[in-house]
Amino acid sequence: MKYHTGTPVSASFSVVLTCAVLLMVGSVWGQPASGDSKTAQKVSASSIQVEPMDPGDVPIPAEFRIAIYENLITQIEKTGKFQHVYRSGDKDAASAPDLVTLRTTAQSFTKGSQKKREVTTVSGSTSLILKVHITDHAGQTIVDRDVQGKVRFLGENLRATYDFSKKVAKIIQVTF
Amino acid sequence: MNIQKPICNVCVTTNSFRGIRTGMCVRGLFLVAVGAALMLSPMWARGQSAGTSPAAPSLAQADVKLVIGGDKVKNYSVGTLSIVGSSLQFATSKTKAAVEASSILDISTNEDSRQNIAGAAHIATMAIPYGGGRVLALFSHKVDVLTVEFKDLSGGYHGTIFVLAQGQAAPFKKQLVALGAKASVPLADPSATNK
Repeated sequence: MKYHTGTPVSASFSVVLTCAVLLMVGSVWGQPASGDSKTAQKVSASSIQVEPMDPGDVPIPAEFRIAIYENLITQIEKTGKFQHVYRSGDKDAASAPDLVTLRTTAQSFTKGSQKKREVTTVSGSTSLILKVHITDHAGQTIVDRDVQGKVRFLGENLRATYDFSKKVAKIIQVTF
Repeated sequence: MNIQKPICNVCVTTNSFRGIRTGMCVRGLFLVAVGAALMLSPMWARGQSAGTSPAAPSLAQADVKLVIGGDKVKNYSVGTLSIVGSSLQFATSKTKAAVEASSILDISTNEDSRQNIAGAAHIATMAIPYGGGRVLALFSHKVDVLTVEFKDLSGGYHGTIFVLAQGQAAPFKKQLVALGAKASVPLADPSATNK
């Protein structure tokens, strides 16, 4: 008796399992199709020039500006999307035929807790929002969006600027 | 041309003329040595005209951490920061990097950053140079931060951050500005802040 009642249950279970597997496979197969549509929109450029961060009216210390700039250069080079990553002012960039330019402008800089900073350099995180603007050789906008980075003080500070640069590198990976 | 060719052939082919061949080789080596000395002499002269001898830094600080922007020098490398002749040098046990003072676009210390953020009025209340009374701190109070922005030979912008022992960044800035480096924030006058 027990064997007779168990068979329909196991049969329905196998049907449900098969459906679930089919749904999973279908969703996995569906993903590359959407990815292909993204790659079709990618912009072609062989070189990029990175301009120093424009602090605008936002008072940002030199340490932050430099750390962000140097991390940006490193992370963009790591993407391997460009043959040349030119620094601002590099004379060789003028001869690059399809040069794109990356500019970053400070939007906001929120200081962390002063009390915490007095006690320790680790706590007292800072929020930094930068506008990332990439234009082509003709000046047309390719990317224009705000990217947030959480900046902490010495040690953690650079890790946060690294994170910001990684976010920009991801944008570049998707765009180019 | 006509004389040299037969002698060369003799040197190569005949054993009886070994003495002549040796003499030629010695003369050749001598000429090469004299030529090399003449070629290198202008370079040495240039090096000496820079001022002090290259081995004698006018300002040096050991145990300085290069946080970022060292190009060939790895981030977080610890080494000696010095001013040799008219250039700022950072040397570790493995590598060395140098920047000419004239190519420095901006040089600042963490004191300058505090001035930028807190404003001059706020800085006036701090009263103590390199030390207490700091309201705003971007880095640890026990260290000084020296940031150097410069251009390379092709005009490319670079930025480097050094972390030094407390009170050591200002002398570097002072000397580099005297050597031709630019600074957007002028040197803080300790006597003025003590008043």
